[in-house]
Amino acid sequence: MLGFLIGEAVRDLRRAGRVAVAAILLITLSLAALGGFWLVSTNVGQAAAHWRDRVRIIVYLKREPSNADAQALVERVQVMPGVATARYVSKTEALGTLKQVLGKDASVAEQLPTNPLPASLEVTLTADGATPEGARGLIARLSALNEADDIGGGIDWIERLARGQRLLEIIGLGVGAVLALAAILTVTTATTLVLHLRRQELEIMRLVGAPELVVRLPLLLQGMLQGLLGAVMAIWVLIAVYTLAGPQLEPLVSQTLGLERLAFLSTQTVVVLMFAGTLLGGCGGWLARGRTEP
Amino acid sequence: MIELHRVWKVFAVGPVKVPALSDVSFRMGKGEFVTLHGASGSGKTTLLRLLYREELPTEGEIDVLDVDVPSLRGREVAALRRSIGVVFQDAKLLPGRTVYENVAFVLRVLGTPRREITPRVFDALRTVGLSARAQAYPTQLSQGEAQRAALARAIARKPLLLLADEPTGSLDETMAAEVIDIVKDIWAGGTTVLFATHQAALAATLRQRTLTLVSGRLVKDEG
Repeated sequence: MLGFLIGEAVRDLRRAGRVAVAAILLITLSLAALGGFWLVSTNVGQAAAHWRDRVRIIVYLKREPSNADAQALVERVQVMPGVATARYVSKTEALGTLKQVLGKDASVAEQLPTNPLPASLEVTLTADGATPEGARGLIARLSALNEADDIGGGIDWIERLARGQRLLEIIGLGVGAVLALAAILTVTTATTLVLHLRRQELEIMRLVGAPELVVRLPLLLQGMLQGLLGAVMAIWVLIAVYTLAGPQLEPLVSQTLGLERLAFLSTQTVVVLMFAGTLLGGCGGWLARGRTEP
Repeated sequence: MIELHRVWKVFAVGPVKVPALSDVSFRMGKGEFVTLHGASGSGKTTLLRLLYREELPTEGEIDVLDVDVPSLRGREVAALRRSIGVVFQDAKLLPGRTVYENVAFVLRVLGTPRREITPRVFDALRTVGLSARAQAYPTQLSQGEAQRAALARAIARKPLLLLADEPTGSLDETMAAEVIDIVKDIWAGGTTVLFATHQAALAATLRQRTLTLVSGRLVKDEG
């Protein structure tokens, strides 16, 4: 029976012809758009997470403390909420780091009469601390330290990145939703056309007492088949774009976002896209259902 | 088998009410062959459509196969129809399918096991004398052959009741006689038959109980 129903659905799909092709292409377009935004958003999200892990807040100290005072200060900071680690950086270590950064121009630093760099605390944040509110609270607590002269660093720009990611997701969902609606309407049109072409068969089926499921299932399956085909094509489009454009974009992405390579959609997301396509097509097929009884 | 009690069917055409059937009552027993005679527009088709619940009566009671037809819903309608074979003046064969596929189609949609389909299709085609035309498409059939194919489709699932709505209406005398012989064979096999026709001569030659409808009223029940 199932084989017969699937056979009827495929037969219907062939009969719907160009309208069915248009419906499949629209589903491809809507899911490719959604998947494309998802892909960009995933990578921006990864970049945000990557940079969030590397956030440091620097507490510049008024004067260089003794070793014991530095140790006590580190211990006081380490117990503050939102702090993952706290490390004391002496004036000498700071100068050493500067020399490393300057490389062959390090002699410039050696010509300084005194070391102008302040001692500091390098604070890394916990996941809770690496939020705008968490970071603001922590900065306020660190500023309140008697030893603190100035505070550097923060996560505002990372939050801007995360906001951009969320905006991308919303735009993706919006564009995807509009295209999905168009796809549903097209599948409905294709199925209505099939209903018209099949009116004699449906009449015979109802006349002989075919179960309602047998009457409707081919229409639903036809819509689902269109949706699945559209989803598979959308995924192929995304794979093609990723394979062709990925290597070209990676150097740029590495320099701007700090990601070594672009990530593709996860298996879970691919499954969700295929499911969404099948669901879209199924909706269209179901919406076109005909009259059942007088 | 069939029982109608004071059945009315009134169609509303805008503000105008047009009665298609007026106060129709009759009984028909299991295994009977009854001819339903009446001119075009007398209400024969409406009456048949009420029996397989394609229409609902405006008033009155209809029992078919011990089932109160107007009260049926969804699956119950389908279940009733599985016991009824219907043939029409136009054979209503599916144009894209062969005679074999047309008959097999109804068996498939009713979930008949695959191995039973071919023997049952050919049994039905043998009964109507169309075995040799199994692979022909409807456009390649004469009107008489098309009507016989429709009969094969109706009897392939072995219905208890056959409703024939003017199956000979568009056939010449020879073809009509062939179709009538087949219907009689089906009846002889135990199927109850209600045969609608507008042809008075045909109703007379059938020599069966005849119900006569005039303008939606049952005016005669004889034979």
